[in-house]
Amino acid sequence: MPQLKIAAALAVAIILQLSLGGIWPPLSYIDFPLVVVVYIALQRHAWQALIVGTIAGLAIDAPSRGLIGAGGFSKTLTAYLIYIAATRVNLENPLLRIPVLAAAILIDSAIYFFWHRSLGYPPSMPFMQTISYRLIGTTIVGTFALYLLDSLFTERARQRRTFASRRKGARRGPSTLRRR
Amino acid sequence: MAAIRTQKEIRQRAPIWLGILLLTNLVIMAVDARDSVTRQRLLRVWVQALVSPAQSLSSGASGASTSFFREIVNFRQTAGENERLKEDLATAQLDLRKAQQANVENERLKGLLNLKEQTGYDQVAARVIARDSSIWFNTITINRGSSSGIALNMPVVTGGGIVGRVIALSPWTAQVMMVTDEKAAAGAIVGQLSGSGALGSVRGLGNSGLIEMRYVSGLQNVEVGNYILTTGQDGIYPPGLNVGEVVQVKPGTATQPHQILIKPGAKLDQLEEVAVLLYRPPQRAAPEQTLPNVDKTKK
Repeated sequence: MPQLKIAAALAVAIILQLSLGGIWPPLSYIDFPLVVVVYIALQRHAWQALIVGTIAGLAIDAPSRGLIGAGGFSKTLTAYLIYIAATRVNLENPLLRIPVLAAAILIDSAIYFFWHRSLGYPPSMPFMQTISYRLIGTTIVGTFALYLLDSLFTERARQRRTFASRRKGARRGPSTLRRR
Repeated sequence: MAAIRTQKEIRQRAPIWLGILLLTNLVIMAVDARDSVTRQRLLRVWVQALVSPAQSLSSGASGASTSFFREIVNFRQTAGENERLKEDLATAQLDLRKAQQANVENERLKGLLNLKEQTGYDQVAARVIARDSSIWFNTITINRGSSSGIALNMPVVTGGGIVGRVIALSPWTAQVMMVTDEKAAAGAIVGQLSGSGALGSVRGLGNSGLIEMRYVSGLQNVEVGNYILTTGQDGIYPPGLNVGEVVQVKPGTATQPHQILIKPGAKLDQLEEVAVLLYRPPQRAAPEQTLPNVDKTKK
């Protein structure tokens, strides 16, 4: 079932990425698929993160003028680096995720740009300007998106929700029974 | 259980998966980057053909969500009024907006129709279904492809002026590189084709939305507000199409060309419908065989 949830989250992220730019072009600076990739890598799911990175990258490359595979390469490598970091350092703290997300955007953009430059497809947009907008947009929206994914996915969040209703019942317990 | 792997095993195998996936992406990139004999990349044709239904769907979804948000805004604007007036006003506003949209669309389509009369070339009308998803390039995707008679390098225009040229094709979609892209260029002239000697070439400036005109002699008279037309010498755009209007001129000298910035005539940030001109440039004549340097032993 977690695989289904991951697939659904990825599909939503790709649809958002493809459609939001049409509504208001600056929204295309937010890299929703990368947020999902970072989230899965932070959960230390190695192969899921790598596969999701490849699929997300290829899905965004396909309708683009850029090289097909460059986004897949950059997102897969980014996923692996985040996974390695998450297995060595505790990145559970929500505040720590902000610099991780920012680093992921920088790595992803740099690798993507590098491949296009190397293979003779220099992007039309200025590197520094584009990377800055991506960094700002994706970090701000991504921080909230990570929190949302956290509350939907993790076992701890599910338990918190379950026990909240049980606690409510327990608090009501004896006095309510006596009245009956 | 063989299927259950320990974290240690997963960690050990992760680099192998990474290597396989990176290699796959590299191979795809290599195939995509290579030019085939037909100058069209087969992989791109297949991928575009596969992706086009999803793009059309997402384009439809974005249109629906835009109108949904517009409705919410309308509702808020009329919230303070009484119920009857609110309904009347909302209905009237909706009708008016529909009429305005129809009017604008009508004007755009009329512009495309006039274009056919002006240029005399056959054309295929197309709708813009997506912009470049990776934000790094100035391209759009249109909902007509090789099955509609479109070929690579055909010019794409609106009533306002040139938009760009077709750079990739699938049977049902085509990718268009806009004139503002740094890699886009066209032969151009300031003013009328026969009445000016200010020839040069225009080139995109990336995301600034402007175009630069190069190589115009500093001795030629160029002013802000002059119109730029295509010359047809680039083998892509037919002569006489509007490129845009001069917005800035840094005057040159006898030895230095002018530095000219042009605002494109087509509204590139609000493109909805475009026309692909089914134009094939005239074949260039073969080199003169009687020239002294030509090897005549073959004859």
